[in-house]
Amino acid sequence: MNNETPLGGHISKRFDNELEDIRNKVLTMGGLVETQLNNGILALMESDSAIAQQVSSEDYKINAMEVEIDSQCVEILARRQPAASDLRLIVAIIKTITDLERIGDQAEKLGRFELELIDEGSTSTQYAKLEHLGKLVSKMLGNALNSFARLDDAVALKTIKKNKKVNDEYEALMRQLITLMMEDPRTIKNALRVSWCARALERVGDHAINICEYVLFLKHGKDVRHIAYKEVKKQLSF
Amino acid sequence: MSTNTTATLSQSFRAKPNSMQEDITNDATSESSEHSQHITIGENILENAKFTTRNVNVYYGEKQAIFDVSLDIDHNEVIALIGPSGCGKSTYLRTLNRMNDTISNCRVTGDFLLDNEDIYSKKMDPVLLRARVGMVFQKPNPFPKSIYDNVAYGPRLHGLARTNSELDEIVITSLEKAGLFKEVKDRLNEPGTGLSGGQQQRLCIARTIAVSPEVILMDEPASALDPIATAIIEELIDELRENFTIAIVTHSMQQAARVSQRTAYFHLGKIIEVGETSQIFTNPRHQLTENYITGKFG
Amino acid sequence: MNNTDIVKHGLKKRYAKEKRFQWYGRLAVLTGFVFLTLLLLDIIIKAMPAFQSTQILLDIPLDRETLELSTDATINKDTLSAINYDGLIKKSLSQLYPQVSKRNDRKQLYKLVSSGAEFSLREYIMKNPELISSNSEIPVLSIWLKADDDIDTFYKLQTKISRVSDRQVEFIDSLIQQQRIRTSFNTTFFTASDSREPEQAGIKGALLGSFWTLLVTLLISLPVGIGAAVYLEEFAPQNKITDFIEININNLAAVPSIVFGLLGLSVFINFFGMPRSVPLVGGLVLSLMTLPTIIISSRAAIKSVPPSIKEAALGIGASHMQTVFHHVLPLAMPGILTGTIIGMAQALGETAPLLMIGMVAFIVDVPGGVVDSATVLPVQIYLWSDSPERAFTALTAATILVLLAFLAIMNTLAIFLRKHFERRW
Repeated sequence: MNNETPLGGHISKRFDNELEDIRNKVLTMGGLVETQLNNGILALMESDSAIAQQVSSEDYKINAMEVEIDSQCVEILARRQPAASDLRLIVAIIKTITDLERIGDQAEKLGRFELELIDEGSTSTQYAKLEHLGKLVSKMLGNALNSFARLDDAVALKTIKKNKKVNDEYEALMRQLITLMMEDPRTIKNALRVSWCARALERVGDHAINICEYVLFLKHGKDVRHIAYKEVKKQLSF
Repeated sequence: MSTNTTATLSQSFRAKPNSMQEDITNDATSESSEHSQHITIGENILENAKFTTRNVNVYYGEKQAIFDVSLDIDHNEVIALIGPSGCGKSTYLRTLNRMNDTISNCRVTGDFLLDNEDIYSKKMDPVLLRARVGMVFQKPNPFPKSIYDNVAYGPRLHGLARTNSELDEIVITSLEKAGLFKEVKDRLNEPGTGLSGGQQQRLCIARTIAVSPEVILMDEPASALDPIATAIIEELIDELRENFTIAIVTHSMQQAARVSQRTAYFHLGKIIEVGETSQIFTNPRHQLTENYITGKFG
Repeated sequence: MNNTDIVKHGLKKRYAKEKRFQWYGRLAVLTGFVFLTLLLLDIIIKAMPAFQSTQILLDIPLDRETLELSTDATINKDTLSAINYDGLIKKSLSQLYPQVSKRNDRKQLYKLVSSGAEFSLREYIMKNPELISSNSEIPVLSIWLKADDDIDTFYKLQTKISRVSDRQVEFIDSLIQQQRIRTSFNTTFFTASDSREPEQAGIKGALLGSFWTLLVTLLISLPVGIGAAVYLEEFAPQNKITDFIEININNLAAVPSIVFGLLGLSVFINFFGMPRSVPLVGGLVLSLMTLPTIIISSRAAIKSVPPSIKEAALGIGASHMQTVFHHVLPLAMPGILTGTIIGMAQALGETAPLLMIGMVAFIVDVPGGVVDSATVLPVQIYLWSDSPERAFTALTAATILVLLAFLAIMNTLAIFLRKHFERRW
């Protein structure tokens, strides 16, 4: 019986190593993306142009990693013809890195908007509201990456559940911004920027959810996308 | 970081009390150690199946080769039997047309119903059965006769053709169905052993379908062939599905994945899991199946 | 010193060893070849004289007076066979050497011609009775008649032998001068049967005896052998009895052949009351002897048929017997035939068991069937090699050559059959 690592235990040791290597790279990439996002949010909160500059210029690293992992996955598909859990792992990784790369893009966007906002001379006080959303999303991403690293379906499921909170928060923020804009049309320009930031954060949340769904697919072999949370829970017999 | 995560990963994989997989895994461990009551995972029982086998046990002398296997084969489906060497898949296949009758110390118990007829009953003649359940073997084994005589052998044996022209027709249609006619139509009188490996195997398939069997058993039909010949045979199997029910034993999992609709995984003489091929190859329910398919230590 | 050097160091020694071994092999082959060649050469040289026979030209007067026929007597079979041909030959010889008068000399003179010459003369005249009836002016028949075996041997070998007296040597010298003596191809060797007189002895009887014996052997051992082999290999249950039978068949192949002869004597002749010295009994005994060979080789041939072919036939729905007869036997046939022919060749060369059942008798008649008394080639060799007359040495060697030729032909046939019918799969 296989009580080795779930990725390991292949008769081909090299296959084990390849899978381990690829998974480590995904985790590294995840860490990078997480840092970028947190820095983006930090820059937003602190109006720190240096950090914002750093965020918007570091994105290429994530893109490079995506390309590298992608090509490794293709190589494994071609050479190993993985099946069952191996196949699901590779598919999940290919999808996960796409989402990670998108998250990286969103973080970069945050940095860029912040630079624009600083140029405009606006202060970040009105973005305090973003802070909560940012924390929430950042935590979600962290959890998603954790669930991927540990193949922890419980965490993944919990994270998926949080999506509603993010959406609610986003809706509330948007409503606030609209009120603000109606009260004082001069703020429209900045409010729009803030709303874009909020939008970016909301997208990050969606991507994090996707990653969690891939984890569930990897672990249970069931595609749980576009299914109501309760249904998912039932299908996975939680 | 990597080693650390790996360790936690494996732990998390095991510590999963609610998961269905865990229960199965435990079952399998206890069963493979002692040959007790065995439950096959998946859809091994069908309604209105072409072939129904229940509680099949096969013994070679004192040694038991197959333990309590129950498996149904549906009409016009290709079912792939996979598993490591010596797992009993070939033995099981051979019980389906009583080819193991020729092995003197082989004993078979269990129910075998072909269209609800017991194939091991006194009333069932093995010769008749083999006309209904044909077999294609691992090594292409054409008779050292002409291509025509190879295909005509079965029909002649069973008296299926009354006239020579009828026989000609059977031979030609069989060769056509086996996708060989175009290649050999000008040399029907040349020896079948002069063909290439893939052509020989198709000749053997033509020879088998010449007696219009209902079920065709294939015992690793492409294992001795190159990839191109294999692809042609696989394509042929897919076409034959229209008219025949096919059970195929294969060592190549990719082949099983490509040609079959359902797959049964044999392990140490038992069927561990039966299911849709797509399910077996993306999400096997049993840890042993998973290990075999992904190439892990079983 | 690295590995390459170590290997290099030992290399010369290794090659030398290899070369030495090759030379040993060549030497062994050469030795065998030399012995075989010597043996064959010896036999051929000894056999050569047997294919030639010496003849003497005699003028036989055929007038009715000499023939002691009255002028009005009709010439028919009876009158012709009543003629004293021996007297005619003697008279003719006397006419050749009118100066010989001493009784002893005359005797020696008459001994120049074979004692069988009168029979060939009679045969010739019976065939051509018009020679007598014709009214030709000189009714003299010039005919080549066989010389006596001693004269024959002396003339062919040109060496003095004790049985030819000085007087006879003189006669021969004068015959040579008159060109009345010659050698010609010895047809008698192939057309006559055994005889006490070497110049009249031939192998036809033994040849036909061998033929009938082998025919009986083949007819019995081939079907029985194949049947037994097929049954044992394909149908027999795997149990102790089968094992026991198998072991015994293998043992039978090693039993000395004379034991089979004893068995034949006690069973076929004493118990069943079959006649002695006949090819039927000989064939039966030789069948017993060849059966194990045929069964073992047939089983090997059947076993070597790939099981995939059997499976293919069974898989299509052929019954076990159909599988055997449609596929296994045809594919095994070359092997079976090879084994059979080798068994037959063995039987052809067998002497010992046939001695036991009386096929060693002196039989002058050519056997016309399986129940006529007969002898076989190897027994004939055995018989002649025992005879005192010098000319029999040559006959023995010649018969050995014939036997060897037949063995070679049979073995070639076996190789040919195997090559021709062997199928690749």
